[in-house]
Amino acid sequence: MKVEQIVEATLFASQTPLTADEVARADENLVAESVVEAIQVLRDVYEASERAFQIYQLGDGYQILTRPEYAPYLERFDSVPRAPHLSPAALETLAIIAYRNPIGRIEIEEVRGVSASSVLRTLLDWELVEVVGRGEGLGRPLLYGVTRMFLEHFGLKDLSDLPAPDELPVVLGELQQAMEAEVEEVEPEAEEDGATESAPREEAEGEGH
Amino acid sequence: MSPSAPARGATPRGIEPFQVSLERFEGPLDLLLHLIRSQDIDIFDIPIARITAQFVRTLEDDLEMMPIERAGEFLEMAATLVRIKAQLLLPRPEQPDWDEDPRAELVRRLLEYEHFQDVVHVLEGAEAQRGRHFGKGYIEGRPVPALAPVELELTLADFLSVAARIPEPAPPIEIRPPSQTVTVNEKVSLLRRLLAKAKRVSFDRLFRPWGTRAHAVAALLAALELAKQQALRIEQVKPFASIWLLPGDRNQAPPAAATTETAEGTE
Repeated sequence: MKVEQIVEATLFASQTPLTADEVARADENLVAESVVEAIQVLRDVYEASERAFQIYQLGDGYQILTRPEYAPYLERFDSVPRAPHLSPAALETLAIIAYRNPIGRIEIEEVRGVSASSVLRTLLDWELVEVVGRGEGLGRPLLYGVTRMFLEHFGLKDLSDLPAPDELPVVLGELQQAMEAEVEEVEPEAEEDGATESAPREEAEGEGH
Repeated sequence: MSPSAPARGATPRGIEPFQVSLERFEGPLDLLLHLIRSQDIDIFDIPIARITAQFVRTLEDDLEMMPIERAGEFLEMAATLVRIKAQLLLPRPEQPDWDEDPRAELVRRLLEYEHFQDVVHVLEGAEAQRGRHFGKGYIEGRPVPALAPVELELTLADFLSVAARIPEPAPPIEIRPPSQTVTVNEKVSLLRRLLAKAKRVSFDRLFRPWGTRAHAVAALLAALELAKQQALRIEQVKPFASIWLLPGDRNQAPPAAATTETAEGTE
């Protein structure tokens, strides 16, 4: 029996993503590395033979999923409820947590300008975020991070699949540059003030205690 | 808190066209950003008076319908805007340093918020893309045929005739309580009472109504005891014939015993 086929059978039979370690439980001779290698072989085979499915990595797990171009056909079978689309509030909160991981509720609310407690509760219920620790500040506030479920929901391998902050259209550095430009324009020797002002977030978090 | 006269040359023009519903907005930052971006305003030079007027104007329509917490969030921002406007009106140092611009903190927050709106768009795209992949179990298995509805073909009379055939519930089974302790003294007083009324008493009568061995034993012991006291005589014509008890020479019934005994003693 070839390793690829054991891995294929295991992934085929699963309804949820499986990590390489989990797949390796199928046989004593399997280890995570050989599972990963086998998955790559299978991916190439599926690609070459134009299968309607492929092995996708979601978080640290692997799952056989249909290719997106077949979605219109499958969507005609509406017997199974689709995964709900997240609300704008949930997406906003997740965006902040994903990029500022780990972060406390107060800091999330500062960015959003609105309360985040109820949306946080919902996200915790859905296991899209989890408590990852406690902050240093007053009352040692809970710090939140995104979960494996978050990666699965958005089809991401890991957080580096998201664009880096400076690849986004509105770059926070824009503010920094604008400030520095303005400062230089008026009074060049005030530059170091501008530089410290440009990183207000890290300062603010560090000052909490 | 009505929009005051435009300060620093900002004009009230542009207030009227911006009738937007607050429901569309996640919060005050969202609304503010919309006002700024939709009017092509330079975010680094926000005309605070004009934006404040528009912001407050938008609030006025919807504020009363809002949950108090949400209303508070918008009002807090309105207060911040008014404060910034007041600070701008104060005399300022000769060189306007960006650090001292009262708008700087607000601009920082707006840009940060806008930055995360971009992340939201990325996440929305990822979510939509993920929604186009399906795993096993997406399509339900073999459909289970629904049971066909069955007409009720039964009249009330049919129903009652069937109901009548259901037997009455069986009477509850009688459970005899375990026999009480029988004392020889009870039998003695019973025997005395019977002998007081009759010339002779069959030995059977002392225990047969109860039908248990304990009563027979107690009756025998009572008879023997009274015979020993010479309160009665025992007669038997021949072996296995009836045993008769007859009053003896010293038969005297104690008065107290008669009242406590049960009714079996009647003939």
